[in-house]
Amino acid sequence: MIIPKEIKQKPVEYILLSLIFIIGFFLYIFINNSQSRIWIVSGVTFSYFGWSLYHHQKRGDLHTSIIIEYLLIILLGLVFLLFDPFAIF
Amino acid sequence: MLKKLWIHYFIPQEKNNHRAAILKPNFLLLFLVLYLLNQSIVKSLTIAKPGILGYSSEITAQKVLDQTNNERTKLGLTPLVYNSVLSESAKEKADDMFTNNYWAHNSPQGKTPWTFFDAVGYKYSTAGENLAKDFYNTDSLVKAWMNSPTHKANIINNKYKEIGIAVVNGTLGDVKTTLVVQHFGTPLMATAQEIISQKSDDIVVPEAVDQSSTQEITSQANVLSENKEKLISPLTLSKIFSSIIFIVLIITLFIDGFITVKNNIHRFTGSTAGHIGFLFFIFLIMLFNQQGSIF
Repeated sequence: MIIPKEIKQKPVEYILLSLIFIIGFFLYIFINNSQSRIWIVSGVTFSYFGWSLYHHQKRGDLHTSIIIEYLLIILLGLVFLLFDPFAIF
Repeated sequence: MLKKLWIHYFIPQEKNNHRAAILKPNFLLLFLVLYLLNQSIVKSLTIAKPGILGYSSEITAQKVLDQTNNERTKLGLTPLVYNSVLSESAKEKADDMFTNNYWAHNSPQGKTPWTFFDAVGYKYSTAGENLAKDFYNTDSLVKAWMNSPTHKANIINNKYKEIGIAVVNGTLGDVKTTLVVQHFGTPLMATAQEIISQKSDDIVVPEAVDQSSTQEITSQANVLSENKEKLISPLTLSKIFSSIIFIVLIITLFIDGFITVKNNIHRFTGSTAGHIGFLFFIFLIMLFNQQGSIF
């Protein structure tokens, strides 16, 4: 199985990121309240962005282009979710 | 030619600076614009030509009744008896929401759910209401109600003896939709009879109500099936479109990540594993979300 070098080098960072997504998803499933769900998704999104800044700052390649890439991925995910006609928000 | 395009857009290589072209910021922006455009077109179509994209629905009063009683039976509760008078109050509630263009238990004019029970002359000791809209099938509708503590409380409330159901198609907020209204009740007479029956250790079964209601359900189901030739749900269209974009992005990220790791390429881009994780999180939530909304 191929494991990316950066995951091998910084396993704690990736375990932390995985935990953010897993906990966020399970909280979303089990908390059946639209207001709380908005907070959960916002929390996961901000955590992901925070993680990316920390991760690239540590790696020494925190460039504007990389920040823009993260912001676009986050924006794409959020727009899809917020405009999803099936979302219970 | 096709192979070249495929490689350029999906495979990281020297020519595309070791990053699949569709993962570059300009393409991500394009996906955003395409998605918003799709949403606008679907919304405009539902407003301008309601006949083109109507909300089709396989939901019938009979199915809602069966599944509601299934849920009760699973918990060892007695099934609810269908009452056509309660269905009439549920239908009036749905009509009132369409007429006055609102989606709530209480109308802007101040009508409460109990107004509709009173209007049809249903005398109750206990009553309740569940609402739903935009669902495509009965399974997901009942599942959504059962996942919501307040709606579930109504469905499994042992105090209720009877139920009325209305499944009505109409236009709400300029969009065609299907409203489902459940009215639960315990008739005053039944409460009084229960007290008597408890004293005499005898069980009272309101058979007459049950028989008349069966016919009512059938006729309501027929009316719905006439409307069923409607076409494609815009909700489904949007869901398919967004799912395709998401799946393409996630697969491309996987390919991109795999090839760069395999070839040991170092580049200045965001973390592919991180992007996959985030998009997968959003995708799972989108899959998990029920169709439609409940109130």
